[in-house]
Amino acid sequence: MIPGLLMAIAAGSLVGLQNIFNSKVNERAGSWATTALVLGMGFAASLTIGFILEGKRIFTLQNMQPWYWISGMIGVGVVICLVQGVKRLGPTYAILIVLTSQLVLALLFDSLGLLGLDKVPFTFNKLLGVLAIVGGVIVFKIGGGRKFQKSVVQRK
Amino acid sequence: MRGSLFAFFGGAFITLQGVANARISQDIGTWQAAMITQFTGFITALMILLFVRDGEWQQFKQVKPLYLIGGAFGAVIVFSNVTAIHQIGVTYTISALLIAQLCLTFVIDINGWFGVVKQKMRLPQFVGIGMMIAGVMILRF
Repeated sequence: MIPGLLMAIAAGSLVGLQNIFNSKVNERAGSWATTALVLGMGFAASLTIGFILEGKRIFTLQNMQPWYWISGMIGVGVVICLVQGVKRLGPTYAILIVLTSQLVLALLFDSLGLLGLDKVPFTFNKLLGVLAIVGGVIVFKIGGGRKFQKSVVQRK
Repeated sequence: MRGSLFAFFGGAFITLQGVANARISQDIGTWQAAMITQFTGFITALMILLFVRDGEWQQFKQVKPLYLIGGAFGAVIVFSNVTAIHQIGVTYTISALLIAQLCLTFVIDINGWFGVVKQKMRLPQFVGIGMMIAGVMILRF
């Protein structure tokens, strides 16, 4: 349990940091140049780390199914949706909906075991927990009239 | 309404991307999955950029180099996200990830690091973080 949680916390911290860096690039270069740069950097870093850790095995892609080749386009869908959402709703409400739908979908994926992942049984407590987190996000984001940073290029 | 739909699908795609990466990693390995999905995403974004031309590559020169390499975090993000999903499931992973993300952003806002506009700590933000952590505790039972 704990190692998995630590991994998720590490990922979340890096996402937070990356969103700030990305928004700095975005201010100057626009969202598509930024997206291309960010994904290009991510690819180069994955290749480098993978090569250091696994050597040539990084290039052996066994059991590739056709849809694996296009799954990266989901990230492009994310950018399109976030840019349009923020444009229409403003950053505060757009990000609120984004975070909420991330959590609700996570619960759905676990409960249904979609895409061949292990099924994690749905319980009422899970729903309650997710609702409490969503409530916390709402209080955090709307309470106290803070200003919100426009962060369009958000990452998985 | 359309804005809400876009935002909803934006969030849905973020979760879907994590789950898809977790699935792909079962077949080809985690670093390989991180490499492939970011590569195809990169190519797609590049092609869109050539069509829409909403920005200029040249503008990158005006951005601090530190901010330009933020994308490299993507490797570790995908790796950690996928590993966490395998170990503790999607719900826990996304919950912990979002809380860590909001908390770090909060700390950066309070201190005004990286040139962001400094924000004051207020009660609602602490209440919000408390509720989110309580939510993760409830998930466990």
